[in-house]
Amino acid sequence: MSEWDIAVERTINNNVPRVYKTLSQYPYIQDLAKELRKAKLEVLNNLQKYVEQTMESVKRIGGNAYYATNVYEAREIIAKIVGKNKIVVLGKSMVAYEMGLREYLKELGNEVWETDLGEFLIQLANEPPSHIIAPAIHMTRERVVKLLREKLGVEVSENATHEELVAIVRKFLREKFVRADVGITGANAIAADTGSIILVENEGNIRMSTVLPPVHIAVAGVEKIVPTFYHALLEATVQAAYAGLYPPTYINLTSGPSSTGDIEMKRVRPAHGPKEFHLVLLDNGRVKISQDEVLKEALLCIRCGRCHLHCPVYRVLGVNWGVPPFTGPMGAMWSYIVYGDTKPATLCTHSGNCKEVCPMGINIPRVLEKIKWIANDKERNKT
Amino acid sequence: MLGKLIFQNLQKFGFPYPIDKSVCTSWAKDIPRGGETIIYTSCMYQTASLSDVFSKFIPYAEKLSSLSALAKLIKPSKEEIERAYRILQNISLMLKRRGVQFGYLYEDEPYSGAILLELGYLDEFGEYAKIVTDFFKQKGIKRIITVDPHTHNALLRYKEFTNFDIEVVSYFELLGNVKARIQGEIVVHDSCLYSRFLGKREVYRSLLNSSGVKLVEDELVTGKDTSYCCGGPIKPVNRELSEKIARLRVEQLKRLSENIVVVCPMCYANLSKYHKILDFAEVVE
Repeated sequence: MSEWDIAVERTINNNVPRVYKTLSQYPYIQDLAKELRKAKLEVLNNLQKYVEQTMESVKRIGGNAYYATNVYEAREIIAKIVGKNKIVVLGKSMVAYEMGLREYLKELGNEVWETDLGEFLIQLANEPPSHIIAPAIHMTRERVVKLLREKLGVEVSENATHEELVAIVRKFLREKFVRADVGITGANAIAADTGSIILVENEGNIRMSTVLPPVHIAVAGVEKIVPTFYHALLEATVQAAYAGLYPPTYINLTSGPSSTGDIEMKRVRPAHGPKEFHLVLLDNGRVKISQDEVLKEALLCIRCGRCHLHCPVYRVLGVNWGVPPFTGPMGAMWSYIVYGDTKPATLCTHSGNCKEVCPMGINIPRVLEKIKWIANDKERNKT
Repeated sequence: MLGKLIFQNLQKFGFPYPIDKSVCTSWAKDIPRGGETIIYTSCMYQTASLSDVFSKFIPYAEKLSSLSALAKLIKPSKEEIERAYRILQNISLMLKRRGVQFGYLYEDEPYSGAILLELGYLDEFGEYAKIVTDFFKQKGIKRIITVDPHTHNALLRYKEFTNFDIEVVSYFELLGNVKARIQGEIVVHDSCLYSRFLGKREVYRSLLNSSGVKLVEDELVTGKDTSYCCGGPIKPVNRELSEKIARLRVEQLKRLSENIVVVCPMCYANLSKYHKILDFAEVVE
């Protein structure tokens, strides 16, 4: 068996039964998922309205909101906020990866660190992520031992346990969190009515990235907008459950810069946390897709990564299926949305497992069928 | 473009690639020609083993067209074709024993167009669906008994493109009950289409369950949303991927039972490279 075969089999055996157990133990989650789908569709059907509302809401609570039509604009906006020679800590974000943010900020002379353990390993290995919530699932424990030894130059025993490996990274990143000038994260959901962003995590790195540095920048695709604060909480709940990590260790809510109301109940910003909060909303193909009745379903994806572990093609090809970070069945859809790449869709075997397990009820094979058709149509027009 | 070539072949040969039509029809001996109810093979069982051969030719598809006379000579092996015929004859016999009356179109039987649909050639599929629908209507066909999931699925998708109102039923839905021809434990490799798109998973499972064999199940191998594809549908696009999926699938299934039973000719063809595979119509009567 290859390293990938071993790693993915272990992941499936750990994760898939745990999701089934969660859904059976907390049956309300499936109802919440249905409610969330409706709310997200409402936004997709009125995207411009909700983008405007979100930006107004963020400004109202003391933050800054920006709209970027493509990754170049988004990177420029962020680069201006960050500046040069800064220490930047990143929370795992597919959109940040989509815009090549880490490398871009480094080129500008900043020290940039991924803080999600999996993404940190990916950064050390200089490899693309293989799964959206567990970016280093292609690495076995044995590989991680070797990587930490080589890249961090620390003593790591051949037989180091998972716990020991995590402790080594913890020690390394703690120093970065404390010294960081800017924290950049994604957003699992953005509430249009309040301008709040929600982030789900287990490690504690998001909390530190969003609170310790004086500046917090959140980057997200426009499809992450939901109508209300309530729906944002739903998205966090549903995402964690279908990712197999329920209850999540932390759900982080950020509504503008840090604040206090402790003196005469007057709300004052900042307090102990960041002095600045910035939200960068990215289009990069999403708005156009929202206007197509079949393809817009892809924008409902909440990035739980469940479809990956039920897909025969992902099981075989792993990171080589899709354009990173968009791998797996959802990635075959998203590779087209943001990169215009139709090839991943052509590798779908339409096994249908993905549509069965998708919490948002996305008929992924049908979306991929349409993308195949688009590819064929382009080919047809060439001949 | 592959879709255009397939469409041209369909018009010329009545099949996605050049083939001697007698390969498709020789299994049927005493079935009446035509009628309101027909058994519809779409030549899937008969040519399933050729999918492997023709996937090798796909990179040279344009040349294949000019070599059609030669390509027409490619036939399944004697053993493969005899087995496919036995399966179809078993299906036919099971239906007859239960009093189901049906005809067969013999050399007039059109292909369903499934490969166009599955490769995303929706324009060509829609155009072809209209041709086949008109043909069925001209023949006065009111009910079609399918024997494989790809054909069944393709026919049900016709209505997205044309006015298709003919009843489509899978043969195993007409069997009522069956008796096992083998003893002991089996593991079922579900057809993706039957299981997750057409809602028929429980129909053949319940037939097998009551037939006398014992189905071995495992949540991570045979569950509705965990059981994997055989790799067959991706073969025309990526042979290597198709073969890896098939190999992996057989390894999973063998851990549960040596007796692997399928309900689809494409699953049969793709998995058979790695293990002895039994078709549903070979294990029941």
